[in-house]
Amino acid sequence: MSIHPDGYDLLKATIELSTSSLPIETKLERMLQSITDGFQSDRSLHLRPEAILKEGFLYRVAERRKPLWVDEETPFQEERVLAEERDLLCSSFACIPLSDETSFQGIFYIGFSKGRKFSSGEVDLLLLLAKEIGAAIRNDQLHRVAEETISELMALHEMGKVVASTLKLEELLELSLTTGRKILKAKGGVLRIEEAGTGELRVKCRIGDDHQTPLDERMAHRVYFSRTPLSLSRKGRVKPFLSFLCVPLISKDRSFGTLAFYDKESDPSRFDERDLQLLLTIANQMSCAIENAMTHHEISVMAQDHEKSMRQLSMLMELNRALLTTVNFERIVHMTLTAITIGDGLGFNRAMLFLVNDKDRVLEGTMAVGPNNAEEAGEIWSALSQRKGNPSELIAQIESSTENHSVLNSIVKGIQIPLEHDQCILSRTVLEGRPFNIGVPHDEEEWLQTRCERGCHLGSEVGCYVSEHLSRDPKIYAFATIPLWGKGKVIGVILVDNFYNRNPITEEDIRYLAMFSNQAGLAIENGMLYRNLEEVHQELKEAQTFLVHQEKMAALGELSTSIAHEIRNPLVSIGGFARRLDRTLPADASEKRYTQTIMKEVGRLEKILSHILTYTHEEAMALKELDLREVMEESLSMISEGLRNGGIQLTKEFSEEVPGVKGDNYQLKQAFFNLISNAYESMNGKGKLSIRIHPLLKNGSSFVRVEVEDTGAGIDPESLHHIFNPFYTTKDNRLGLGLPIIHKIVTFHQGQIEVNNHPGKGVTFLLTLPAQEENQR
Amino acid sequence: MMKILVVDDEESIRLLYKEELEEDGFVVEVAKDGLDALKQVPLFKPDLITLDIKMPGLNGIETLKRIREMERQVLIVMCSAYGEYKQDLTTWASDAYVVKCADLTELKNTIRRLLRLL
Repeated sequence: MSIHPDGYDLLKATIELSTSSLPIETKLERMLQSITDGFQSDRSLHLRPEAILKEGFLYRVAERRKPLWVDEETPFQEERVLAEERDLLCSSFACIPLSDETSFQGIFYIGFSKGRKFSSGEVDLLLLLAKEIGAAIRNDQLHRVAEETISELMALHEMGKVVASTLKLEELLELSLTTGRKILKAKGGVLRIEEAGTGELRVKCRIGDDHQTPLDERMAHRVYFSRTPLSLSRKGRVKPFLSFLCVPLISKDRSFGTLAFYDKESDPSRFDERDLQLLLTIANQMSCAIENAMTHHEISVMAQDHEKSMRQLSMLMELNRALLTTVNFERIVHMTLTAITIGDGLGFNRAMLFLVNDKDRVLEGTMAVGPNNAEEAGEIWSALSQRKGNPSELIAQIESSTENHSVLNSIVKGIQIPLEHDQCILSRTVLEGRPFNIGVPHDEEEWLQTRCERGCHLGSEVGCYVSEHLSRDPKIYAFATIPLWGKGKVIGVILVDNFYNRNPITEEDIRYLAMFSNQAGLAIENGMLYRNLEEVHQELKEAQTFLVHQEKMAALGELSTSIAHEIRNPLVSIGGFARRLDRTLPADASEKRYTQTIMKEVGRLEKILSHILTYTHEEAMALKELDLREVMEESLSMISEGLRNGGIQLTKEFSEEVPGVKGDNYQLKQAFFNLISNAYESMNGKGKLSIRIHPLLKNGSSFVRVEVEDTGAGIDPESLHHIFNPFYTTKDNRLGLGLPIIHKIVTFHQGQIEVNNHPGKGVTFLLTLPAQEENQR
Repeated sequence: MMKILVVDDEESIRLLYKEELEEDGFVVEVAKDGLDALKQVPLFKPDLITLDIKMPGLNGIETLKRIREMERQVLIVMCSAYGEYKQDLTTWASDAYVVKCADLTELKNTIRRLLRLL
């Protein structure tokens, strides 16, 4: 027998071990070892609560919560001992339950093979040691609980951070599921959300190893409908072991999804009540966040829709504003088609406009806007994407920067489609007054059916065409037509397509296009009306100018007639008496010079008066078919010898076939005579006179053209505008009434007179007179 | 001696014609307008009348009509500053039409021709 155990040292060693930072198992092992060594016992054990079996004596010791001492003086008296417990029975041993008011940490056992007696000091020491072991175990348990609680709190905190981190639904769902799985240490998880509209439960997100069985689906539905959580574990002998947790996601008393996790990563891989509680907390937290995110998602989708509508509407407004800035037809059409094709507008690849020609019952290609090829399309789009500004500005930029010289435009401009051709989608659009949307079809055959069988000149450029090379290079892309409405009738059709990017055309695109084309249709119709109006206006203006001229002439005529008459009477007196005076004077009287001058001047004045009266007074004309060559010859013969024999070279170029002109021989002769004598006079005895007469076709009508060209001084440019005005006198006084008379005569013959004036070089008068129609002869 | 009545509202014309024609050996009376002429014709009984057209009161065309109603035989020469009445049917009742001119040769020749003095 060695020394008695030193109680103080043993206690000290035990307490040191108990408060050390060793793991609990090592701690216990070492404490028990030191107790065994100290008491020189055979063994000392810690019997864990779960190892204490019911019906055994240890169970009763635990229940009694009193230590059991067995030694030489106190024999073992327990009646029932289980087989498992027999091993513990030896000559002396002690069992001390480790417990406080609320918990039980098992039983401390120490056994001796030799019989002995426990002294009171030993009993106290063992009780103290047992208390210390119990405390160590309890501390460890508390520590573990605290740690778990902390980790759970951390997990929840993390979850909170996750749900607050994003409003993007997809991201949030995935993050929630990942974090949940981490917290629960599950092998896999599935998140299901009801689908908006149908209310059906759909898998939104899944991670790790989930079960994916029909059973799983059914359980999820049960949880979803019953709104109660479900925890399920199956001990598998035949099938593998499984554990399953599923909780509903509830918001405002309504479940909108489920969250499920599968198989804990620990062993055994089953979830306990704690996990379920944790999951409920997580689900609760997530529900709010997901609900928020979903609302946010819906709102942002709605906002996007609104923004899109807003953009479209403001585009429409901008365009209308732009359209209102002009009544120029070409500009309106160009703007419209540009708006249809630019990215910020309707964004179609190409747009073509065909207008109805009511008179000929055909559709006429009017204009096309769109890139010539894919490269150009790419360039335009990239350039456009860098441009900023509202659509109307963009339209204006495009409008002003480029003339429309595209290949497509020239192809479209040459197209005419009869409106009766009901195979053609373009004429059908007009005749039926409804849009056609040939979106990208599912197969080529369907595509071919929608195409025009006849094929117009749109060529392979445009969708509604079938050609042989289609089989080699089937161009399948979406196109659509939309009628263009004017006031109560279809005035044309717009063809749009996505030839380059081959995007499909949606019904919404068509709706928007329709909305837009309704606006554009009115603008285009207005433009057309305005264009017609302008043409008519131009004609009216010309007519008015003509009438004003005529009226001026008539007024001048009247005025001059009355003046002429007023002057004539006094002239008769003056001239008459001058003559009488003259006769009374002797032939050698110096006064005779004066009377002669008076007589001469009166004679000149009277001559001018006769001219005026010829000009203003329309004498009855004898109209008959004339050969202008003959008339001209007669006029030439009237030219005085003096003029004709000067140094002037006369060239006559008369065509062999000259149609007859209905006219007055005398007047025309006078007109030609005036022209020729003017020419002679202007050349001052030296130069070249060319006279040409030839037939002329103008606007499908037949005319005779008479040209009188001289190499004289020409007409002073300042006077040029007035040469046909009667009484307008030029510096050289040459023209006088000659030209107004010519003008009057030519106009009377429904002809025209033009002047090609080259001051200093000469002048050419061009007379154009209508030829007598064949059937009038 | 042939008698000529000159009807003209212009005094200077009346004077000129009277002197010129008297010089040529005619007996000449003047009337200052249509009414005056109508008064003188039955008294003076001219062989020939030169009749101006544009006159105040009764114009030449109306006067021509009236004279023809009372005196069919008298020769009448319309003598006007206007050429356009030449085509006018209303003047066709006259025997000649002369546009006034400072040179009276045409007028005198016409008168002589009508009076068969040539």
